[in-house]
Amino acid sequence: MIHRECGVLKTSYEADMALYPLPIARWAVGAIAAVMFAVLPLALGEYYLSLINLVSIAVVGALGLNLLVGYTGQISVGHGAFMSVGAYTAANLAVRLHAPFWIALPLGGLMAAVIGALVGIPSLRIKGLYLAIATLAGQFIIEWLINHVTWISGGVQASIEVPRPRLFGFEIASQRAMYFFLLVCVVLAIVAALNLLRSRIGRAFVAIRDHDIAAEIIGIDIFRYKLIAFAISSFYAGVTGVLYTYYLGVANYEQFQITVSIDYLAMIIIGGLGSVLGSIFGAIFVTLLPILIRYAMEAFGGLLFSPAALLNIIPNLRLIAFGVLIMVFLVVEPEGLNRLWRNIRNYFRVWPFAY
Amino acid sequence: MFDWQFCALLLSNGVLIGLMYSLIALGFVLVYKATDAFNFAQGEFVMLSGLLVAVGLGSYGAPLWLAVTVALVLMAAFGFGLERVVLRPMIGRPVIAVIMATIGLAAVLRGFGPLVWGAETKPLPLPIPDTPIVLGPLLIPPIQVVGAATSLLFLAGFGWFFLRSRIGVAMRAVADSQQVAMAMGINVERYFALAWAMTGVVSALGGVVWGNLLGVDVHLSLVGLKVFPVVILGGMDSVPGAVVGGLIVGIVENVAAGYLDPYVGGGTKDFAPYVLMILALMVRPYGLFGKEIIERV
Amino acid sequence: MNGRFVIVLGLVVAAAVLAFPPAAAASHEIVIGLQCDRTGATQVVGVNLCPGYHDYVGLVNSKGGLNGHKIRVIEIDHEYKVPQGVEAYERHKKEGAVLISLYGTPHTYALTQKLTEDRIPGTSPGFGRADAADGTRYPYIFPIAATYWSQATAAVKFAGDQLKSLRGKKIAYLFYDNPAGREPIPVLEELAKREEFQLRLFAVPPPGVEMGAQILDIAQRYHADFVIAHLFGRSPSVSIKELRRIGYPLRKVVSFVWGAAEADIEAAGGYGVAEGYNCLEFAGVGENYPVLNEIREMYKKEGKEPPKEMASTVYYNRGVLIAAIHVEAIRNALKAKPDGRITGEDVKNGFERIKGFTLGGLVPPLEITPTDHEGGGWVQVWQVRGGKLVRETDWFKAYPEVIQAELKQAAMKKS
Repeated sequence: MIHRECGVLKTSYEADMALYPLPIARWAVGAIAAVMFAVLPLALGEYYLSLINLVSIAVVGALGLNLLVGYTGQISVGHGAFMSVGAYTAANLAVRLHAPFWIALPLGGLMAAVIGALVGIPSLRIKGLYLAIATLAGQFIIEWLINHVTWISGGVQASIEVPRPRLFGFEIASQRAMYFFLLVCVVLAIVAALNLLRSRIGRAFVAIRDHDIAAEIIGIDIFRYKLIAFAISSFYAGVTGVLYTYYLGVANYEQFQITVSIDYLAMIIIGGLGSVLGSIFGAIFVTLLPILIRYAMEAFGGLLFSPAALLNIIPNLRLIAFGVLIMVFLVVEPEGLNRLWRNIRNYFRVWPFAY
Repeated sequence: MFDWQFCALLLSNGVLIGLMYSLIALGFVLVYKATDAFNFAQGEFVMLSGLLVAVGLGSYGAPLWLAVTVALVLMAAFGFGLERVVLRPMIGRPVIAVIMATIGLAAVLRGFGPLVWGAETKPLPLPIPDTPIVLGPLLIPPIQVVGAATSLLFLAGFGWFFLRSRIGVAMRAVADSQQVAMAMGINVERYFALAWAMTGVVSALGGVVWGNLLGVDVHLSLVGLKVFPVVILGGMDSVPGAVVGGLIVGIVENVAAGYLDPYVGGGTKDFAPYVLMILALMVRPYGLFGKEIIERV
Repeated sequence: MNGRFVIVLGLVVAAAVLAFPPAAAASHEIVIGLQCDRTGATQVVGVNLCPGYHDYVGLVNSKGGLNGHKIRVIEIDHEYKVPQGVEAYERHKKEGAVLISLYGTPHTYALTQKLTEDRIPGTSPGFGRADAADGTRYPYIFPIAATYWSQATAAVKFAGDQLKSLRGKKIAYLFYDNPAGREPIPVLEELAKREEFQLRLFAVPPPGVEMGAQILDIAQRYHADFVIAHLFGRSPSVSIKELRRIGYPLRKVVSFVWGAAEADIEAAGGYGVAEGYNCLEFAGVGENYPVLNEIREMYKKEGKEPPKEMASTVYYNRGVLIAAIHVEAIRNALKAKPDGRITGEDVKNGFERIKGFTLGGLVPPLEITPTDHEGGGWVQVWQVRGGKLVRETDWFKAYPEVIQAELKQAAMKKS
């Protein structure tokens, strides 16, 4: 009854291909947008806004990785390195050429896209596991280059400070201002991804993932589309790196090392490969999980352990919980949080009927 | 005037340390060879075994042979249990799922060790002298000789195992094609479990040797990163490949550090194997000894 | 279905827990935010350093606090990851922290701008960015202990004293190949020009578990007269072993502060193996300090054994030192506002008045001023001798003019 699908008639191709053809979907998206843009920034304190900011940045990165891994089927463990490429490009532009953020942001992404396409060249010859290792090598090599080439890294300390972004003369520094800034970027990223997937390129991606030899036979240039996938995914990663840089005020490659690449892989697997909503779920889950565990342990742990022991136990338990949850998700629900959501949604499709 | 002594020292160091890398790579290869599963947690296996032995020696004061035996048994059981609980449901899933499962496992092990036994570095003393053996211009540390010898022993042992013994041949059959193996009456699940148990045992010995070299704490798991260039160069499912790959990586690292570092300001040691690896992936992705996967359409 | 139910249930519980976090700090309590790493790459340090911090604060609280105000320390482990560190900072800020004890060089970089904007002082003792010693450029970052630049000058001075003269000598700099390891290079190169010695750099890429080629080069090809080592994690112990193996005398090696702990010596094979190894320290080492006895007394009064972390004196004592300097800063801040409602800015001013506070020799004679947030860059050299660490020199600092020049250069580059 709520999720009414009948009675919605489409008379044009555009209407059929619309992102949100059903009225319920339009209402839901509108409500979420209203809450995110109008209600939350006024209702929540700075601390909670800062959490949402961290999640927003992660969402952009997870989206990019999902485009490559989930939709095109190319495994990449080098996402962190592309973030640092974007970060350092934007930082150098901002500091040396005094570029404003709305120039530095896309250029950072573009540079990352170029490097991403380069790293993706092996995908012509190798697949699966071997491609993952090649991207791992790419990650280490890019890190090494940034560390050693002071022209890129701005000195032996490999860290470049950037000024806060300015918009119409208004400096974006507080968590609340950052919140709006990041929210706009996230919305753009999500809409771009959704539109990309509706287009010819998106369909080519899925074809390559499902059966690349068949795709090649029907005339899709798989090498070209694989490179495009790497490029677009790296663009998102570069933008993520730039957003991080502006959020923190400093670009430093040590924030984007192999552990970060693995974190993003965890996000999209837990969230659901091959789904935009899944990327969002995964980003929220993986970013907030350590914080949640810490709160839970602080709330309940005092019952079992002494405070000193607790300080040692909480962090290790967090690590264990993180690993266990990943494994549980993989074993129990391989399609991730997205599938859980779909199950809930399917239940409501026919509610109050059973089927 | 070319400094032959320096070169010889570099090469000998490279050979020995390369064979020690092979020890870790062997555990990885065993699993991949038998089950097609990629064990991202190999370094953590080594760390866990090192911890078991170090704790046995330190906290319980057990004699070395007892601590090592207990560690071997526990690691074998651990591998066995792991296969049952985590990896069996993963059969048939996309490769990235298996990789992530082992990554999750790696995180669990990294938290588990310090949680139970504390985060301080534990020494792993072995009755092996510290003073190097002097062989002409070469200075050879005994611990590396032990590690290298263990590697070579495993090479010989596993070589024979996979070629001649019944169980080994069955494992190769399972790796080749599970369905046909099942049709032939081979209990695939049992051989999977066996492969993981064997990895546990190999990791245990690797943990003992590396733990003595480095001291046992969370950093020990970082040696696992060395595995990737080794197995790519040698072939992910080849035991002699693990040894040869290890040798290549060890030698390349040392030669690069010795001769390229002064020009680039240092750090080529890590860089060189990865560059080599990418070249290998482009030219010969299955490694020197790996089995080529032919895709059937 | 069963497993999925468990997952949904878990998510609901998690949401409920996050919705009701623990209550905020009570009034008249002074809150300090302590960032620590107990599970990441530097856990060996954090696991011993942070208990030292807590114990000193506990000692102060057991004596009635500062003018009656108790101090509450909120520790958050960030696994040496930067987003966690940022979230920890936001949480500390929410709880009303007036001082953040930072942990980790990348985190110091990441939080510098935020700390300055929010006017909360952060300390980065023995790590972080060396140019933060300049209090006018970074008013809210306090190294409060020798930065890598100061450690470099001190190491060179020590080498010079040991070799009787530096001119024409060959010095090898063995370092971990990351920004922290590379930071002292400009200072070392400047000193090489000034004192006319040869300097060669030997980088050890992470994770630094194997460095045979570099050590071979230092000993057999370069024939270094002295080695200055700046390594982290497991690499110091590996370097000791390798140097010993190649027959290089360890008394010609001096290590920076993070390669110089009991853990490194034990991992290298024990005090016998590391005989002669010299270590720079920014806090006193060993158990013979009055404050440590007081902490032991405190535990005994509660009927508990002193914690085992005390045995790892290098790291534990550093934790005590950091806490002690923090408490001094807060004490100074309270002089201006005795009612206890101090802000971050008050604590910053409190830091800048610290002078002559040595805690029985555990703390060097720091003097922190509005322009010098480092306090002088004091270090001591301790040597492994006869089965334990023995104090080799008293507190000293070296070449302050070189450091000042570097700081000025860094300031000009940025603006």
